[in-house]
Amino acid sequence: MASRVGNPKAEAQVSEGTAKSQPNSNNADSAPKKQRVKRPNYNEIHAKPLPLEVYPLPTFIPHNPISIVRIAVSLISHSIRRPSSHLVIHKAYFSPETQSIHVTDPKSIRALWEQGFWGKGSLSRSEPHWLDQEKRRRGLDAVQTSEEYTRGRREERRQMKLERAKAQREAIEEQLRKEGKVVSETQIEDLVDEGLFAESPKGTLYSTDSDKPLASTTETENAIISAVSKSAGQNPLVPDAVIEDQEHLQLTLEEAFFLCYVLGVLEVSNNHVAVQPTELIRLFCQHSLFLATETLRSPVPLSQDDVVAIAPDNAFVLKYIVFHHFRSLGWVVRPGTKFGCDYLLYLRGPAFHHAEFAVMILPAYSHPYWSEDPVRAAASRKKENRDWWWLHRLNRVQTQARKTLMLVHVEVPPPWDENGAKRIDISKVLVNYHVRETIWKRWSMNRNRD
Amino acid sequence: MADEDEDAPNLQAQDAEEIEDEEGGQEYLRALNKLAGTPQNISSLSLPKRGEKDFESHSTQLQVSTLETSRAAMHSVLSWQRTHTVKNHVIAMYHEASNMVFVEKVKTSMFNTMGRSKEGKEWLLPEEALFMIERGSLDCRWPVNTDEHDGEKENDEKKIDMRLGAPMSLQGAYAAFLGFEGGVGGKLTLEMYIVYAGLKRAGYVVFRHGNWDDDRGELEHLAPTASEKDAGSGIVSRFFAQLWRRITHPTHTIPAANLAFGPLIKPGLYRSHAEIYRLLHLIPAPAKFTPPHFILPPDPSNPYRIHFNVWKTSCSQKFRKTNRPPPDFRICVVNARETSMPTAAQLNDLLATVPDDPPPSTSTNIFQKLKHGRRNVILAIVDNGIPSYLTLTDASFSEEKVYDRGVKGGRGKGGGRGRGGARGRGRGRGRGK
Repeated sequence: MASRVGNPKAEAQVSEGTAKSQPNSNNADSAPKKQRVKRPNYNEIHAKPLPLEVYPLPTFIPHNPISIVRIAVSLISHSIRRPSSHLVIHKAYFSPETQSIHVTDPKSIRALWEQGFWGKGSLSRSEPHWLDQEKRRRGLDAVQTSEEYTRGRREERRQMKLERAKAQREAIEEQLRKEGKVVSETQIEDLVDEGLFAESPKGTLYSTDSDKPLASTTETENAIISAVSKSAGQNPLVPDAVIEDQEHLQLTLEEAFFLCYVLGVLEVSNNHVAVQPTELIRLFCQHSLFLATETLRSPVPLSQDDVVAIAPDNAFVLKYIVFHHFRSLGWVVRPGTKFGCDYLLYLRGPAFHHAEFAVMILPAYSHPYWSEDPVRAAASRKKENRDWWWLHRLNRVQTQARKTLMLVHVEVPPPWDENGAKRIDISKVLVNYHVRETIWKRWSMNRNRD
Repeated sequence: MADEDEDAPNLQAQDAEEIEDEEGGQEYLRALNKLAGTPQNISSLSLPKRGEKDFESHSTQLQVSTLETSRAAMHSVLSWQRTHTVKNHVIAMYHEASNMVFVEKVKTSMFNTMGRSKEGKEWLLPEEALFMIERGSLDCRWPVNTDEHDGEKENDEKKIDMRLGAPMSLQGAYAAFLGFEGGVGGKLTLEMYIVYAGLKRAGYVVFRHGNWDDDRGELEHLAPTASEKDAGSGIVSRFFAQLWRRITHPTHTIPAANLAFGPLIKPGLYRSHAEIYRLLHLIPAPAKFTPPHFILPPDPSNPYRIHFNVWKTSCSQKFRKTNRPPPDFRICVVNARETSMPTAAQLNDLLATVPDDPPPSTSTNIFQKLKHGRRNVILAIVDNGIPSYLTLTDASFSEEKVYDRGVKGGRGKGGGRGRGGARGRGRGRGRGK
């Protein structure tokens, strides 16, 4: 994960190159020398787990009297001029189409990413570094991005599999020849290239049954890639031109609400009007379902007085409860769509550890209110009901991705927003929900015997 | 739900040793042939692992012939006639009223981990009897109804000629033992038997859990924790410690207005991020010392209860069924077709009947600690006869404050700066077991 800030050296080189306006030769010369790019110091970059400023006292060293003086000085200076924890309030706006909050100021983007791993670059996999990728594409920057790394690794793996498959197929051909059966004289490589053979689960090459050979998909892929690169290359690569960063940061609704309501470091505006946290919760609840977009597109926009009561098991509320729970315990919580779960939990952040836990949220209706009335009881049972195959599917995917599956049950209280008050007392809402975490893992009879 | 290849050779005898065969297919065939050929010497044999699997036919003669020999070997094994040896011939009598089986003379070592002796007889529960019959180590007989003798008299005589009974077929045994409501310990379902037999074959020691006539299991209380380590430090040192804490960690409280309208964290002077995190706790979660309690009313139809206690193989040598150690695993058997996943209340009630098992205090790895949890139970989900096992653990996330210093998470990604950057990011997938 090469970051711009973390790599001042590379940046300096780029600016130097642009100044000299002959970066091509320059780059070519320096490329072999600069094979090894120093990894940025993530401990330094991500020193702050939250985008808030803290003022620790100098450390007290018992045998060093000066340390006491330093502590006293900082105590006095802090009491005279109280420093503030909130140095910057980041600005963002709500985008109903994408159901996310957009941050466009580059400084805010960097700050939010570095201090707590908030959001995701709109053009990147996770960390916003489209600019780095673009620079590298134009041969300006030597820093390898994580996307490139993954691409390379995948290609390597594909090649390895193909080689293995070829070897196995050759063994079979050899056996056939030994048995005196007719073997086509075509070379295996050609057959593979033409897509007449595909990999079987174990990697042996077999002739494909379907009419369309597998290679055709890769061909179309290649065609698309070349077309895209052509269209991208229509404006000739002018390396010394200043590249405009076209990326913004996307925050999920829960992240934005946490930054806004809990930390108070984000100001979210909707239609150019700043929204208070008390109104934000209603806005986000309305947009937590895909159905909400339909109402948005309707010609008559929802007026301010036209409030829809928030269901106690609203998707946004449940997700936020779990998000807040884990964030308040110090985990870095990021959306888990890529692994088919609700959240991924990182210790300290994605730059330090792989996500260890995959969280799936389930509503629970244990409160007597939900079983009072048979209709309500049936409805809530339907909502909390999951069959075993659902769990097995989920567990299989998580095991494959080396995550530990955790189900988080959120106890849903009785409705709290029936009269649809304009300003919601958030604290009273949040304390009504309870969470319970359980970890589910496959148990193998053969591994636990002794 | 299918298990991996390694689960396949479940057929092996209970006392058979682990197979350490690397050769694969050929070895397997040889063993099968041996098994078919020499029935006298079975105890020294074990089933080796299977070889590599071909997924499709590639029209080589080699593949066809390998398949053919394998099939033939399998058939010859199956066609071999199994008999009771005279030495280990155990005759048992079926007892209709309790749906159990009694044995007068215990012969094999199987009884070390099975049955219960009462009134000079060894009584077997339905699943134990069925398992032994299926395994071929028990010759079960139906009682012969002779009009002259009524039941009491039979008992008084104490000596019934077992050989008079009509032999029970395997089909008959299944029909008799499964699903009989009035028997001792309630109903034995086919799912329970499948799980029981599978675990027994794999070498575990399995016994039924607790008293089955209750509507639900016993509540298991918290493990007694070591009392607070408040060593009697001096008043002076405590005073200074308190003072130091006051200076370094000013106590903030969140006013109600902040809670209601946000932001929770007002601009101000904070000494550390941990201090901020401490203010954020809003969502209640079951804490470490909350005593367990039941949510649902007692209900015999609740499928989520512990059915079997399981001990590892290693303890079977010195295992005494009259004085059992605490079990290694507890298993709850679930029918995947008839029950859906447990609700939060059912989960809570099931976990409340499992003893508290906190992670060892020596472990420093936070991931291991969290995964160990405090209470755990194994769910055996039987889907049309195929069991798949899942461990269910009560994770105690609220106990582990990640924001506090000194939290260790096993191997990190890069290992800081010390590591050479040649591999770019240390992003190998070599994690985990």
